[in-house]
Amino acid sequence: MEQRRQNVSRRDALKLLSAAGGLTIVKWSRSTFAEQLPVNQEIEPFTGPGPNPHWNSVGPYVGEPQKAPLIGLTDRPVQLETPRSYFRSVFTPNDAFYVRWHLPDIPNRVDLAEWGLKIEGNVNKPLTLSFSELTEKFKPVSVTAVNQCSGNSRSRFQPRVAGGQWGNGAMGNALWTGVRLRELLDAAGVKQGSVQVQFQGLETGPGPQGSGSNVFLKSLELSDSALDEAVVAYLMNGEPLPMLNGFPLRLVVPGYFATYWMKCLTWIRVLATPDENFWMKTAYRVPDTLRGNTTPEEMKAGGVKTIAISRMPVRSFLISPDGSSKIPAGMNVTLRGIAFSGYGKIVKVEVSEDGTKTWREARLGEDHGAYSFRTWEAQWTPKIPRSYTLAVRATDEKGKVQPDEPVWNPGGYLWNKIEKQEIVVGKVSGGESR
Amino acid sequence: MRKRLSVLVPGAGLLLIAAGTAVFAQFQSGSYGSTKTNSLAQTISPQLSQDGNFSVASFPSFATELAEGEGRAETQSFCAMCHSTRYITMQPPLPAPTWDAEVNKMIKTFGAPIPDAAAKKIISYLQDHYTPENRKH
Repeated sequence: MEQRRQNVSRRDALKLLSAAGGLTIVKWSRSTFAEQLPVNQEIEPFTGPGPNPHWNSVGPYVGEPQKAPLIGLTDRPVQLETPRSYFRSVFTPNDAFYVRWHLPDIPNRVDLAEWGLKIEGNVNKPLTLSFSELTEKFKPVSVTAVNQCSGNSRSRFQPRVAGGQWGNGAMGNALWTGVRLRELLDAAGVKQGSVQVQFQGLETGPGPQGSGSNVFLKSLELSDSALDEAVVAYLMNGEPLPMLNGFPLRLVVPGYFATYWMKCLTWIRVLATPDENFWMKTAYRVPDTLRGNTTPEEMKAGGVKTIAISRMPVRSFLISPDGSSKIPAGMNVTLRGIAFSGYGKIVKVEVSEDGTKTWREARLGEDHGAYSFRTWEAQWTPKIPRSYTLAVRATDEKGKVQPDEPVWNPGGYLWNKIEKQEIVVGKVSGGESR
Repeated sequence: MRKRLSVLVPGAGLLLIAAGTAVFAQFQSGSYGSTKTNSLAQTISPQLSQDGNFSVASFPSFATELAEGEGRAETQSFCAMCHSTRYITMQPPLPAPTWDAEVNKMIKTFGAPIPDAAAKKIISYLQDHYTPENRKH
């Protein structure tokens, strides 16, 4: 201490002298600093023709019934995206769960004293089941499963494609409770020779009968093993479903994209011939190629064979840190995120601090079942102040690993490229960073 | 050659002030800029009856500002029959042929009852304002 005091240089002494006028300096500094503060800049109203660089889509926050402020893509039909921070929990809260409707006329009101689920078509005994019959006469089962829009992350496509310009938040994970679909089909008795089962909810539009703008219909093959795991759910995370997520009943098809998860499910129809309606024959189709990939040129040339979209390819996300704040150099931070696959359990999640050059394994969180989000975390102590490109990739039980190559198809479906996040590490006193 | 100065007892006071200033220089005390208020009003729980009706408030619709220009009125009235025009502004800038295909999809696939003349106007309006070459907002 003594030593240091004697070694104060003339320059330091000058600083000290000027500091004597401390108050003046403080006043002066305050106004100067205020001008230097960055402005809280509003996000751009649209992105493109390049890819959307943000984690979420760029819409404004909007308030809808039974919902926290979510990112509004469109108001009629309603499409809302879940902000990134909600994925810090393994179960997505109902009020933050994303919303996607196809047609403008959706219910604000359902009268449960009147409402009934109809099981009809090619069955021995057509049934209408009241809400209380569903909850009391059948054994309740629960499954944790990810619901992800087929077009989640569509705004990453290059070239861009028309459609809902989702960022990454058109997904959510919930505990769904209800009745096994097969049990309901058995109660009605599926007739010999039936091929598919069709689902219809309360979503309609003003379009002409028989067109896709009149009614939303989806079907699955009766022989599909996904039907063995499908549940007709009246509870979402232990609560009635929000109206916008399909109150009073929603079909849950673990592993499959959300297009099949019919909201406000009211008709289950067994078909003797394949469903040729617009939502099966024309929409929600993907090229019958590896990862559903094709090119605009191949599409133009024609003859790209397509199939109905089905299971979700493996994906993983870094949720925090999210890049919005700096990390002090030398500080240990926990990298946290989620991973899932429609093909089964996540077996490995790896993180990279150098933009995919080298990888190390993350620690997986609690297992909530093969079709749930699986949380992961990894420790990270960035020593040098600079910008880092973090990346994360997951592997599922089928051995499928997320690739670093993009996907392109005209519908904007099946995106599962490795996610990257720039993180800025700032200088601190005393460290290597000095 | 640096001259050494010995700092004596009065210097201690100066040092304290200096330290304070140095600490101050390392952070910025609260400062308030002027920005637009991006507010979203809270809502109250609705009155609930004990009958079978399970209802929620009407879903809000938002005003979408379409670019000024010839064909805007047709675009607003015909497209909004089935969806809000936010469906247009949400899109990235799309090439002219894509807008042509989109409008034709609405008519041929979805059965939108748009007369030929209006359809032509809508297509050129979209091509005049929402392509990579000309989109402004």
